[in-house]
Parts: sequence; C-alpha cells; structure tokens
Amino acid sequence: MKDHVVIRVVNLEKTYEETAVPVHALQGVDMEIVKGEFTAIVGPSGSGKTTLLNIIGGLDRPSAGRVEIDGRDISTLSDNQLIDFRKKHIGFVFQSYNLIPVLTAKENVEFVMLLQKQSKERRDKRTAELMEAVGLADRMHNRPSELSGGQQQRVAVARALAPKPDFILADEPTANLDSKSTSNLLDMMARLNKEEDITFVFSTHDQRVIDRARRVITLEDGKVLSDQQHE
Amino acid sequence: MLPIIAWRNIWRSRTRSLVVIGSIIIGVWALVFLLGFFRGQVDNYITNIIQNETSHVQFHDSLFKEDFDVRLFIPEGEYILADVVSTTEVKTGSSRILVNGMLSSSNAAQGVLAKGVHPDQEQVTTGLYDKVIEGEVFDTSKRNQIMISERIADKLKVKMRSKVVLTFQNAQGDISAAAFRVSGIYKTHNRMNDELYVFAYIEDLRRLTMLPGGAVHELALILNHFDSTDTYASRLGAKYKPYKVETYKQISPDLELFNSQIRVNMIIMTTIFMLALIFGIINTMLMAVLERMKELGMLMAIGMNKLRVFFMVVYETIFVSLIGAPLGMGLGYLTLQYLNYQGIDLSAWSKALEEFGMSDIVRPTLDSETYWLIGSAVVITAVLASIYPALKAIRLKPVEALRKI
Repeated sequence: MKDHVVIRVVNLEKTYEETAVPVHALQGVDMEIVKGEFTAIVGPSGSGKTTLLNIIGGLDRPSAGRVEIDGRDISTLSDNQLIDFRKKHIGFVFQSYNLIPVLTAKENVEFVMLLQKQSKERRDKRTAELMEAVGLADRMHNRPSELSGGQQQRVAVARALAPKPDFILADEPTANLDSKSTSNLLDMMARLNKEEDITFVFSTHDQRVIDRARRVITLEDGKVLSDQQHE
Repeated sequence: MLPIIAWRNIWRSRTRSLVVIGSIIIGVWALVFLLGFFRGQVDNYITNIIQNETSHVQFHDSLFKEDFDVRLFIPEGEYILADVVSTTEVKTGSSRILVNGMLSSSNAAQGVLAKGVHPDQEQVTTGLYDKVIEGEVFDTSKRNQIMISERIADKLKVKMRSKVVLTFQNAQGDISAAAFRVSGIYKTHNRMNDELYVFAYIEDLRRLTMLPGGAVHELALILNHFDSTDTYASRLGAKYKPYKVETYKQISPDLELFNSQIRVNMIIMTTIFMLALIFGIINTMLMAVLERMKELGMLMAIGMNKLRVFFMVVYETIFVSLIGAPLGMGLGYLTLQYLNYQGIDLSAWSKALEEFGMSDIVRPTLDSETYWLIGSAVVITAVLASIYPALKAIRLKPVEALRKI
C-alpha cells in the first residue's frame, strides 16, 4: 500500500523583505512527510528550520511555493481559516513549553478539545489517557509553575496530541531540557510514534534528538542539503 | 473556559490587579460621595424653598402675582382649602392674606410682604414656630401682633414688644396704616426671605384690609407624595379654573435651573471620572496584553480564534470592573448612609449658604437609579477601555508573538 503523504512541501520560498537586505530564509524547499514518520529537520542557526516549521504549521506564509496538508493547500486559507485548520490538524510543541500558566496540567491538555467543543466525557477520557501516556497522571492538577521543565514539555506534548492531529510539529523541543528530561521526552515521543503511529516533525540541532530520529532532513541556507533515513 | 482563564489571568499579577481594582473602588466611592453631596445640596435647597416659601402647590387669583394687588383675592379661599385638605393627596395646607406694605419704626422703614396666617396651619405647612428665635409667633387672642425677622429687627432697630407701623393699601384701594407690636423674632436660612416677610394673624390683616370673610390671597398645599405634584396641580387647575394653580417649580423656576445645573455638573464629573478610568484601564490592560504576547501567540497557534482572544481580554477587564464597581458603590453607599444620618456641617459657610437659601447641614443622598447608572457606566467604560488592548491582542501574528521573549 502506498504511504499516505501527510505533508507535501513544494518549491517553498520565504524571503524576509523587512530587513535592509532581503533575507532568503527558504529557497526552493521540496519534501514529503508520510504518516508515522519521526523526522528531524536539522541545520545550523539561520538555516531556515524554524521558518520551514512555521510555514508547515500555517503560522507563517510562504513567499512562493505551497504546503499541502493531507492534500489541501494551506497557503490559500485566510488567517481565521488557518487558526481553525491548525486546531483540527496540527499539534504544536514549542521550545519553551508555552503552557497556559493559569491552567492546571489537565486543563492545558483539554484546552484545544474545549475549543473544538468536545463533550466533557470525551475530554476527561482523552486527557486521562494522555496524562497516563506521558507519565504525569499524578500531576493532573498541578499548574505549570509546579512542574519541572521536562514535565511541562510532556504536558505540552499531551496537549498537542489531545485533538488527535494529523501530525505534531515540535520546534527545538529539547532545547531547554537537561539530558534526563530529554531522554524521557524522546522515549515517550518515540513510543507514541511507534504504538499510535503519530507523525512527529522536529526542528532541532540537538544531537540526542537527531540520533533518535528515523529520518533527518538537513537544511543549509534555506535549501535541503540532505535527506537521510536512519534505522 | 474563557471566563475561567480570564478570571485567573487577573490574579497572575495580583498587585497590579489590586491597584486597578483599588483605583476603581476609590474612584467610584469618590464619585458616589460627590454625586450624593450634590444631590443632597439640591434636595436641601428644594426642601428649604418648599418648606419656607412655595409649598408643593399654591393657588392665587390669576393676576395676583403680577403686582400683589390686595384686591385680587380668592373670595371662597378658606372653603377651597377645607375642600382640598380633606382629599387623600393633600397632607396639609395653609391660607394666607398677603399685603405689600411699608413697615416702619421710629428709626427706619422697610418694604415688606406681610403674610396673614393661621399660626397652627402655618406651623404644619412651613414650620412657622420652628423659625422663632425670640418671643413667640403671635397670640391670636390679642390684636395686631407681628413676628418679624432678625434682619428686619436689626434694620428697624426694634426689639421684642417694640411697636411698628405697617402702611398698606386696603381692599377699597385706600392707603391704611396700623400699629403692631413685635411678638416674636424669627430667622431662616434664606437672607432674602428674611428681609421681606413679616407674619401677622390672618384675621387681623383681613380686618385691616377690609377683605370679606373667607377671602384669601394664597393657598399653599403640602402633598403626601412629592412626585405627584405635577399631576395633582394640573387636576386642581382644571377643577378651580379661574384661579392660578402652580407647582413649586412654576413658582420658583430657579429650582429647575439649579437642579439642571447640578445635573450637568454631575454628568461632567461622571464623564471626567469615566475618562480617567478608561485611560487607567487601557494602560493596565495594554500592559497585561504586551506582557503576554508570546502566550497569546501560542493560543492563536494552537487554535484559539481571534474572537475568543478578543473576548478573553474583554472578560478580564469586565471582571476587574465587576469587582471594583460594586465595592466602590457599597463603600459609597455606606458613607452616604452615615453622612445622611449625621449630616455634613457647613456652618463655617453658613452666611454664603443663606444667600442661596440653603441650610448649613447637608445630608448627602443618592437614588438607586444613580447607583445603577454609575455601575453600568463603569462596566460600559471598562468594555470600551478593553477594546484597544483586545484589538492589539488579536492583531498579533502568532509567528511574531512566539518569538517574543
């Protein structure tokens, strides 16, 4: 059976015109990511990793080219349509966790489900499953400030997974974590990827993440330098 | 969830929120107090005018007030009074004979308006006895007794028991004069009235002016319900057609002027307060939004639409005002209750207040409608104040907001 392409990036270009000298952050990037991949996008600072992730996630718009998610060209969507699209199809994990500080871990996880107007029963069930899956079932009612960095990032992953998105985009998810927390987080994500066939796309320059990825796409100066499958 | 997040957001920066809430409380309290004080002054003025001068409703011959001609009387005045006082709307009333004249002593003379009254009627209508500071009102069993004000007594250089002469025109059109003995000296809070009015027994003035029995120049009524003055007066006007029936507002148009002037002052003050509040809230909420740009960017990134972000900021502002406004109003209410009971003593300015016909004790008061208006105005102001920060929040581009430190 042919692999299902979740993300298709076609001749993607992004130029920042606001600066005195235009910056060509992405220059004709092409790639396809199929369901269930565990992909790391790597490269030095300024190589275009975050820009690529932002455009794939519908947070930024390309200067040229297009991004298709599940066959749908998201560059044609309005801002409000993009917000709605992100809510349904994409899970985000940010470098600095970005949990809602006034909500408990449980409330953070069920937040997007609430935006999707899911019933309380479904929310409670899903939240309990996910908190269990990320190993924080006993920290459901703690606020982010009461959790360690690693625990917060695990809650962020649970939040990203809650609405059952098509894929998870994680921008430098381990950048602020110590090695033990990084290892725990990667174990957890690898397990979810394997057991639940969840697609993960990371931007990172953390060797520990690169070592665990099954596919590594290297960017340099806004171009794909290499695209390697790891076993 | 949105109201829960908004509510918890308020308490993220506890000190800042408490400062805003505190400023709303103090502002609303000050506004309630000032509006209550102004309303108290207006009530004080109106009450004094009604109590000392106009009552709620007055009857006259339709032309009498043009030049106070003694011949323009209401022949059956005493019967009309008996008739209207027996109705449920009227609490009490007083019939008067009014005579313009010159009151003179051996030292000086003064133009006066002599009011011939039934002392008991006048007591319940205008509190005549309460104004006496020396002597007594007058003994109706004795002839030609007069009560004059302290000011007139000073001007004429007369004392208790002194003799004064009142020169006036009688109902025949002839100039007449009669000697009166000062039985009492009174003082009110109205300097102009004190320099004008003297009081004598109605039957003495009727006899001296040669008016027929039952005839009066003025009927003054106090109603049971102040608010029904206009409707009752128009009913009386229709019933006693040839006579002029006027309300206190028609008799003393300055009351309405004063009332509307105070109302304008109150509106100006409320507007200034709301403007100060609007800028205070904008400042605080803008700070709260700018501080949370990254978080707002994240919320939009994970799927919170702009309308929800907008309303989250609006909710936060409304919550702050909903805490501050009732507390401020409650504090203001308690302050007004206490001051209304205690009264604010302005006797240090009593001379100036007398010029305006005001007593030197002001009892601040505010009707429930004004409390509702203040409360609604604060919430509306808060909503208006939240629009700019909320717009600022929804104009954020998630990708840029997420880059903020």
